Amino acid sequence: MCVAMVVTVVSVMTGFLDMLKSSGRQIVGDVIVSSGIAGMPYSDEFLVDLKGMTDVQGATPLIDTIGLLRMPYPRGNMKEVTHVQVWAVDPLSLATVTDYANDLYWKPPTDAAAAKAMSSEDPRKTLTEGIVTDGKTLTQTRTGTPGIALGMHVSIGNERQKDGSYLPRYGWFMPGNDVTLTVVPVSSQGKIAEPREQIFPVVNEVQTGIYEVDHLRVYIPLTEGQRLLRLDEAPLYDLNAEPDAQGRYPVIGKTPARVTKILVRAKPGVSANALRDQVETAYESFAKRINEDHTRTASMPEFVNVLTWEQQLRDLIAPVEKEREMMRVLFSLIYLVCAGLILSIFWSIVVEKTRDIGILRSVGASRLGVMWIFLRYGFIIGVFGSGLGVLLAWLVIRNINAIHQAIGSDAPPIIWIGSFVLTGLCAMGLVYSIWRGRLLRILLWLLGTMVMGLIATGLALHHGTLIWDPSVYYFTIVPDQVDWTTAWTTAIGGVVFSVIGAAIPASKAADIDPVEALRYG
Amino acid sequence: MAERQPTHTHSDPHPLIEARGVRKTYSFGAVPVEVLTGADLTVQSGEWVAVLGSSGSGKSTLMHLLGGLDRPDKDGGEIRFDGQPISVSHGKRLDGYRNKDIGFVFQFYHLLPELSVFENAMLPGMVGNWFTNRSKARESASRLLDSFGLSHRLAHRPGQLSGGERQRVAIARALVNSPRVLLADEPTGNLDTKTGAGILDLLAERHAAGLTLIMVTHDPAVAARATRVVKLANGRVVQPS
Ligand SMILES: Nc1ncnc2c1ncn2[C@@H]1O[C@H](COP(=O)(O)OP(=O)(O)OP(=O)(O)O)[C@@H](O)[C@H]1O
Ligand SMILES: [Mg+2]
Repeated sequence: MCVAMVVTVVSVMTGFLDMLKSSGRQIVGDVIVSSGIAGMPYSDEFLVDLKGMTDVQGATPLIDTIGLLRMPYPRGNMKEVTHVQVWAVDPLSLATVTDYANDLYWKPPTDAAAAKAMSSEDPRKTLTEGIVTDGKTLTQTRTGTPGIALGMHVSIGNERQKDGSYLPRYGWFMPGNDVTLTVVPVSSQGKIAEPREQIFPVVNEVQTGIYEVDHLRVYIPLTEGQRLLRLDEAPLYDLNAEPDAQGRYPVIGKTPARVTKILVRAKPGVSANALRDQVETAYESFAKRINEDHTRTASMPEFVNVLTWEQQLRDLIAPVEKEREMMRVLFSLIYLVCAGLILSIFWSIVVEKTRDIGILRSVGASRLGVMWIFLRYGFIIGVFGSGLGVLLAWLVIRNINAIHQAIGSDAPPIIWIGSFVLTGLCAMGLVYSIWRGRLLRILLWLLGTMVMGLIATGLALHHGTLIWDPSVYYFTIVPDQVDWTTAWTTAIGGVVFSVIGAAIPASKAADIDPVEALRYG
Repeated sequence: MAERQPTHTHSDPHPLIEARGVRKTYSFGAVPVEVLTGADLTVQSGEWVAVLGSSGSGKSTLMHLLGGLDRPDKDGGEIRFDGQPISVSHGKRLDGYRNKDIGFVFQFYHLLPELSVFENAMLPGMVGNWFTNRSKARESASRLLDSFGLSHRLAHRPGQLSGGERQRVAIARALVNSPRVLLADEPTGNLDTKTGAGILDLLAERHAAGLTLIMVTHDPAVAARATRVVKLANGRVVQPS
């Protein structure tokens, strides 16, 4: 029992963590190079360097900033404005580093069977491949304008259904609607410039599965972001020369466009940490090369942060990790309870069987032999209980989404009516045993009637409550993978604690003096 | 082992069991009771010794010491089996002694109620050590129970047997590892005369087959069947005149 609980909880939490981590990787790649808000120039050249490295699968430039998004709703003049995290990306290379292309939510059903599984109002039924293409290129093909992709929960228009699909709420199906994005450029000196805004048509929506990301993030094309944030290619003026009649300085060149982040994806089998070090070295030599080249009009920032995705997502991961460790510790206390239970049961057996143990000793059983009897039972109980626990946990975890569903919806009438029928049967058993006058039976049947009655009433009154509300937890489905490391350690721990619990009564048994035992037994 | 060789000569065969100056004190709270104050007993191989004595004279205590179930006081003498001290070392040695060298029969049978008659009888063969030969114990147990007329009750529990039958199972158990000595503490004390006589016949048969017997009894008629009678008085063994 204890083992089942520990394994289930820790597995689910580990599952969450793994999901968080793997989707974290899917979202930001393995290694992130980030500079200050002034950005890094010559990212194209650095990207060429990066892509030339053997361990790099892909790399993509990115500008990360915050912005305000004016939504098309509600109808009327007062529109809702929400703050967002803006990722100006090159969608095609982004798809080689993250799961961006797959995370686009709105896509037509892959086949007839998939279409059939969708509810009748599901907007996906009427979609064409065009919406996916638009999302993948962040361009509205119909008009040729650059588009925006919203995180799935940015708009209130998406209402999550029990099966995990989304239906537009109040008719607000976002793709096709225009939204206005306002961002604030910041100069390299850190001064805030005039905010700039631009209207984008929504081309698709993105579901990474991490709520924290999905309710904040929007994606726009990199060039749009660079332009809005004044990080694009710009003329370079000679500030030492005399300004002309209009007060303008002569142009002596161009400053290159900049990005604030570069995401790098490792080849399969390459660890993020190893890649991080490689990328860091690569950046250092690249920066040196650029900064020693006097024909360049811009220099590379001296300090950039090169982090692995794990370090980057620390804020997201750490609390869950901590929670899981807390759970481990709390549930480990259950071990002590188990051990205590076995201890007291075995203790009373030893006391009860003192005479028999004395007999065993008198015919030549050694102390170890006597101890071994009890340790063996403890071991068997431990193995059996742990095995059962792991099995139970496995069953629960594998079906956790179904169980979650079931808890989330009203109990089917057949079940609670069935429970009432069982309650009735128990009551009949109770009446019969009262008639027969057997005290223990009466008690048992009474207990059965009461428990069944409670279960039946509970089921009848039960109305669905979602335990893992997707707006609270990061994920939209509950992980259903057993964490075998935890399962094994927990099971072995269960066995060890059973044996420990058995060991104390066992040594008491071994200490029994045969003469005493037989005299008073 | 090494010290044993010199004492072992043909002219002076050492006794099978030899208790020398055995003292046993029970400290019962603040008042220690010295039950045995220096008991000497020498039993030669093939003897049948009956131990008499009034109640509380320490007969059971002596038997427990001889049987390795208990140890004499510190510096309280020595008990030798086949020339070797049994009570010097702790643990294992005594276990083996109890298991193989002697058999012990109690007044109140002391069978394990959860085990069958057959399992009870072969018990010493199962607990002896980690790699005991079970088939040998099984064979020996079934032969003994058979000769004791219990072959039809092998699967019964001790609770389903009469007192005499139980004692026969207990004797079978004591003999299953073919010990050289059988220690019996009032084996007939709990039985009626006729049943007791049956048990005695059985023991006599074993004695005739070469078994050394040491038996506690209150009954002079029972003692009369022994080859030698000793008496416990004042914590010492005295030879009755
Ligand atoms: N564990 C013990 N603690 C204290 N006193 C004990 C203990 N065992 C025995 N005695 C005492 O030692 C004395 C001898 O006991 P023992 O059982 O050897 O006598 P016995 O000769 O076998 O008597 P009986 O004929 O009644 O069986 C008794 O006075 C008894 O009270
Ligand atoms: Mg006695």
